[in-house]
Amino acid sequence: MALYLNMALKNIFRQKKRTFTLGVNYTIVTLILVLLFAFSQGARVNITSNLVRASAGHITVAGQYVVDGRVYQGVLRTPEIERVARETLGENITVLPRYIVRSAMYYKGLSKRVTFVGIDTSRETGFRDQVTFQQGSWAEYVAGPNAVVLPAEIAKYFEIGYDDDVLVSTRTRFGAFNTATLRVKGIYTTSNFFIQNQLLAHFDFLRKLDIADPDAASTVYLYLSSTAGLSAKRDRLVEALTLAGFEAKKPKDDNSALAAVTAASPRYELDKRGVDRVELTLATIDEVLGLVRNVLAAVNAIGTLIAAIMLFIIAVSIFINMRMSINERLREIGTMRTIGVEARGVTGLFVLENILMALIFTLAGVAVALVIVLVMRTAVPLPATGNLGLFLNRGRLSLVPRFLDVLIILAVTTGFTALFSYFPARRGGRIRPVEALTKVF
Amino acid sequence: MKIKVLPIALAFLAGISGLLSAQQKQNDPRAVKIIEGFEDKLNLRGMDLTSTFTLVQKQQGEADRVLQVRVYRRDAADTFTLIFQYPDSEKGKGYFRSKDDLYLYLPSTREFVYRNRKDDVGSTDVRTDLFGQPKILDQYWVSYVGSAKVSKWDCDVVRLDGKALDVSFPIQKWFFRKTDGLPVKAENFSVSETLLRTFYYIDYATVASGKFLFTKLLAVNHLEKGQQTLLTNENLSTAAIPNYTFTKAFLEEQSR
Repeated sequence: MALYLNMALKNIFRQKKRTFTLGVNYTIVTLILVLLFAFSQGARVNITSNLVRASAGHITVAGQYVVDGRVYQGVLRTPEIERVARETLGENITVLPRYIVRSAMYYKGLSKRVTFVGIDTSRETGFRDQVTFQQGSWAEYVAGPNAVVLPAEIAKYFEIGYDDDVLVSTRTRFGAFNTATLRVKGIYTTSNFFIQNQLLAHFDFLRKLDIADPDAASTVYLYLSSTAGLSAKRDRLVEALTLAGFEAKKPKDDNSALAAVTAASPRYELDKRGVDRVELTLATIDEVLGLVRNVLAAVNAIGTLIAAIMLFIIAVSIFINMRMSINERLREIGTMRTIGVEARGVTGLFVLENILMALIFTLAGVAVALVIVLVMRTAVPLPATGNLGLFLNRGRLSLVPRFLDVLIILAVTTGFTALFSYFPARRGGRIRPVEALTKVF
Repeated sequence: MKIKVLPIALAFLAGISGLLSAQQKQNDPRAVKIIEGFEDKLNLRGMDLTSTFTLVQKQQGEADRVLQVRVYRRDAADTFTLIFQYPDSEKGKGYFRSKDDLYLYLPSTREFVYRNRKDDVGSTDVRTDLFGQPKILDQYWVSYVGSAKVSKWDCDVVRLDGKALDVSFPIQKWFFRKTDGLPVKAENFSVSETLLRTFYYIDYATVASGKFLFTKLLAVNHLEKGQQTLLTNENLSTAAIPNYTFTKAFLEEQSR
């Protein structure tokens, strides 16, 4: 075997130009696939992590409730939901209610529709660790019941500074307009795409602005110590909440899951069932990311298609190379057969040569891809504006190559090479010694 | 810019508590009489009305926006139809209201969208319920709050407090001319009693004996500084309108 390996290695580089021409194809295919999978994995990890730290729980409880024939967005009986969740999933879970209001903000004649996120600062400090204050501070925000913290971009639009007052006017859930004044206690920047447009206010302030009940919230985020078996845990909670008198359910598809997470508090609609109730939709983070997963799968599919086309070109190249190689090495084949090497051995040698070549250039592709990943992750800062921010981690493209992906790529390229080199190699192996030594194909 | 936070916060709380107490409130007979008198003068029951409204919206730093709307109104059936005539981009669009149901017709998609009957017309400060008969006493508790002078007129001031929070402006102040009982000014407030819009009824036309229709109105938005909408009402006619006009099919036909 060692002899075969040695021979195969030497033979690969006998026709250097031909070998490199084919090898570059392997390298490019590998480079594309490694980078694509690294991007896809990086995006998934980055989006999940950022979303969980910003706008979704491991389980997000959203929904609507009906009071006196009117359907309101959000959840009611929040303390009861928390109690049932703790009883079902354990006391160590973290429960964070949010109140979200989309409304117009006015300052010095300028106006803009913005999203206010109301958090309970006695429970929630996650934002503090994700934002960098340009002006003001977290402590000042916490201290002021009517305080607001703005993204730097919004502050720049309005030319607002620390301690300025802004007016907010919103159509409440009942339909009546309500207004309030918020005082700027912080201006921040963040690398988290999901909070870069959010204006942080206090939960109670926004709830009162919307004239909602004291036990109302837009959504409730549940964070578990372990996300293993998350779907089953959610199902148990759905059952427990149903027993507690809620109409709880799973989202029917990924769109519903995403809608549950992004729910705000628009005006009521009229109910047709005539029964007061609280309807809850419990979405897991995996379901919320379903759309993202689909988009990434589509990106992967396009990349894989490109790689498949290149592999087809490689297959044709292998075939032509093998034919040429066999023609050039007829005397060698004849000699091997004459000294007792069987047809299988000759076939095996040619296949082994191709597999080794595929391995060498695929590994080269992996190495080049890893260097690019390293450079992109450390040395190429990208602007976090627009949708690009979705794929950035601390201002760098989030690329996460996985060992498993590399192994799969290696297996596919070598397996593919073995398959497409076997048939021409078998033909070479079947040439009788006397023909090999006397004929030219 | 510094806004005095404490007074506004107090007003915010006062507004909510005021509204809550409004639920136990009763109508002030003097104010009811004023409102009934005004509603009777503006109520055009027994006749059809056709007119053309022109809305000119002015915004600071922007070119004026002009909308022209043909209005068909029949108060006896509590219905009206509005059809946009200008600009060309809005042409064919329209509203059809039948009692509390208001539909916006979009010719581009040929569909009717159910809307809040207090919808703003073409994103201006003028709401669709301005084109129908007023129904203040159904929605508000009314109280007489004194006299005031608006321009050259001595006026009675009536405060309206929403019976429920499903009205756009839960607090309003209306100023009625003492001479003829017609409103000359209406201020709209939020729940927290922030002044949002003011309507100035500049001129009226007599459409029948003791029946009036405003012909000039100015809406001032107090949140969007410098934003005003001037509404003029022309080509008034009280000739009978075919029943077909007050149907969705009419709107569809007009857009073809």
